[in-house]
Amino acid sequence: MREDGNMNKNYKVKTENITVDYGEKRALHGINLNVASNEVTALIGPSGCGKSTFIRCINRMNDLIDGCKVNGKILIDDEDINDQNMDVVELRAKVGMVFQKPNPFPKSIFDNVAYGPRIHGTVKNKEELENMVKKSLKRAGLWNEVHDRLDASGLSLSGGQQQRLCIARAIAVNPDILLMDEPCSALDPIATAVIEELINELKERYTIMIVTHSMQQAARLSQKTAYFHLGEMIEFDDTSNIFTNPKHEMTEAYISGKIG
Amino acid sequence: MTDKKISPLTKKRYASEKRFKVYCVTALVLAMAILFTLLSSITVSSIPAFTQTHIEIDVYLDKEILDPNDTNDLQTILNEGPWRSLAKSSLREMIPGVTARKEKRELYGLVSIIAGDSIKSYVKENPNNIGKKVQIDIPSSDDIDLLIKGLIDRSLPEENRTVSNLQLKWLDQLVYEKRVSKHFAWKLFNHGDSREPEVAGLKGAIVGTLLTMFVTLIISFPIGVMTAVYLEEIAPSNRMTDFIEVNINNLAAVPSIVFGLLGLAVFIGYFDMPRSAPLVGGIVLALMTLPVIIIATRASLASIPPSIREAAYGIGASPLQVITHHVLPLAVPGILTGTIIGIARAAGETAPLLMIGMMAFIVDTPHKITDKATVMPAQIYMWANNPERSFESLTSAAILILLIILITMNALAIYLRKKYERRW
Repeated sequence: MREDGNMNKNYKVKTENITVDYGEKRALHGINLNVASNEVTALIGPSGCGKSTFIRCINRMNDLIDGCKVNGKILIDDEDINDQNMDVVELRAKVGMVFQKPNPFPKSIFDNVAYGPRIHGTVKNKEELENMVKKSLKRAGLWNEVHDRLDASGLSLSGGQQQRLCIARAIAVNPDILLMDEPCSALDPIATAVIEELINELKERYTIMIVTHSMQQAARLSQKTAYFHLGEMIEFDDTSNIFTNPKHEMTEAYISGKIG
Repeated sequence: MTDKKISPLTKKRYASEKRFKVYCVTALVLAMAILFTLLSSITVSSIPAFTQTHIEIDVYLDKEILDPNDTNDLQTILNEGPWRSLAKSSLREMIPGVTARKEKRELYGLVSIIAGDSIKSYVKENPNNIGKKVQIDIPSSDDIDLLIKGLIDRSLPEENRTVSNLQLKWLDQLVYEKRVSKHFAWKLFNHGDSREPEVAGLKGAIVGTLLTMFVTLIISFPIGVMTAVYLEEIAPSNRMTDFIEVNINNLAAVPSIVFGLLGLAVFIGYFDMPRSAPLVGGIVLALMTLPVIIIATRASLASIPPSIREAAYGIGASPLQVITHHVLPLAVPGILTGTIIGIARAAGETAPLLMIGMMAFIVDTPHKITDKATVMPAQIYMWANNPERSFESLTSAAILILLIILITMNALAIYLRKKYERRW
């Protein structure tokens, strides 16, 4: 992919001047970041720089935190998600999220995946639901491992499997966008490799934003990378540019391991 | 083994660890010893109350006496039969030669004053035996009961004991004739309270406690859980909710008698609800239990990991769905435990009930929540105040039964917690 700059292009997610305050403390200072469809955008930066806060704005998860205030404009498919007419439940069905620590429900594998379609009423009958679960588990690359024990608890799986179950659960509601908040940080390298491969496949269908502490992971997976530092977005560019030819000295210092 | 030198610091550390362990074990042993002493002393002193002495007497169920008007109607016979005098005359026939008034009184004193009722209930169950000579087991008086159980010293001079020499003589004769027997005291569970220890039972108090706890549970559980869910999951955290939270914690520490005063003033005084009724008792205890349930439920809700909530919100569950599908089911064991412990505490409560008239001598077993009733702890207190010797063991027996009820409830709480406990 070539560098497009800020030329007219149909972005999936557009953010304008996002600021986030936790009470008195400002966590994000005016972020402008646009994400194109079917790309993987990686957010890197040292701990506490606001990467997670930023992606949690996209599906309004920050609403759940007391005293957290988000200002600025976030457009998904040119719709303002903070608009009064925007139903947050529908938004979150459209913008799936995978968390840092695998967090399957303490229910069966089947029920974990079926939960989203059930509450959103996207399936009409049991058969459709079963197909949906099967499809989602297949896309998450978990079907072959669990197809004979769908009734087992989601918690009986290994960490990597649990994380893929969470991905299956997120994609079972047919989202457009997947937000991943350090999805591999609790996993071993082998499970990480499996998830990374999965993300590569998923980008065919979904727009993915991933927060990661692993620069190699960002380099391997993403088309675009944003470097955050202390609540500011220092640099946002094609991943290849960021890692080979960073424009900003702080970015360079971070990716070469001098800070962070 | 090893010639490696242990540094003095390490030695000191080991020693202090050892000392600490010794302190802990000592504390545990002491606690166990106290508990054991308490339980065993109650158990030992309650043993006599669980058996009851009966005397078998020959009764001639003379139809002409029982049914002088020849009605042949069982109900009339039961209602109008001269049961007491029949019991007395049967005793006189069994032990002939008693004529003096004082002696007669001593003779009648062998059996309980409800001897007539025992004959009556025998007839009620065996109406075909009217006109026959039958043998009926009749509860002995409490003094005879104590004597048979060895709780009255025969060697005392006559004026210092409640059983006279004459009674002793008759009793020995009856024992010789094998007419004296001890049975399990079922009356403990199927009789209400009475002034006579040989008939006093706990049925009224047990049913009263159950009715009261029913009212308490019905009121405090839904209100408590809903309040906790609102405060923990829905309410914004601001000064108002902080204020409410502090006051709920304060309520949990309010002396229970204050709730009784409130019940007296508000429910009985203002709303004109019946006195001594499980309805009012239940409401008062519900007020007392509410903070316990709210606090337990909130603690239980707060212990649900936020990752479960995030996961549910993340795929678009509404706040209500998050609560009903995920948070509440996971909090169930904690909520149940808190509720049962709160209810168990309420079941052992006396002070608030004192104010609303449930500390009363009530013979009839209540049938609905507006009937007059008493509860187990109140019954224990009243029996403990009774000067008659037999009430001593009855009191212990009642304590034991209350303890068994409470321990059963707590065991249920533990069982439920273990059953529904899930890991995440």
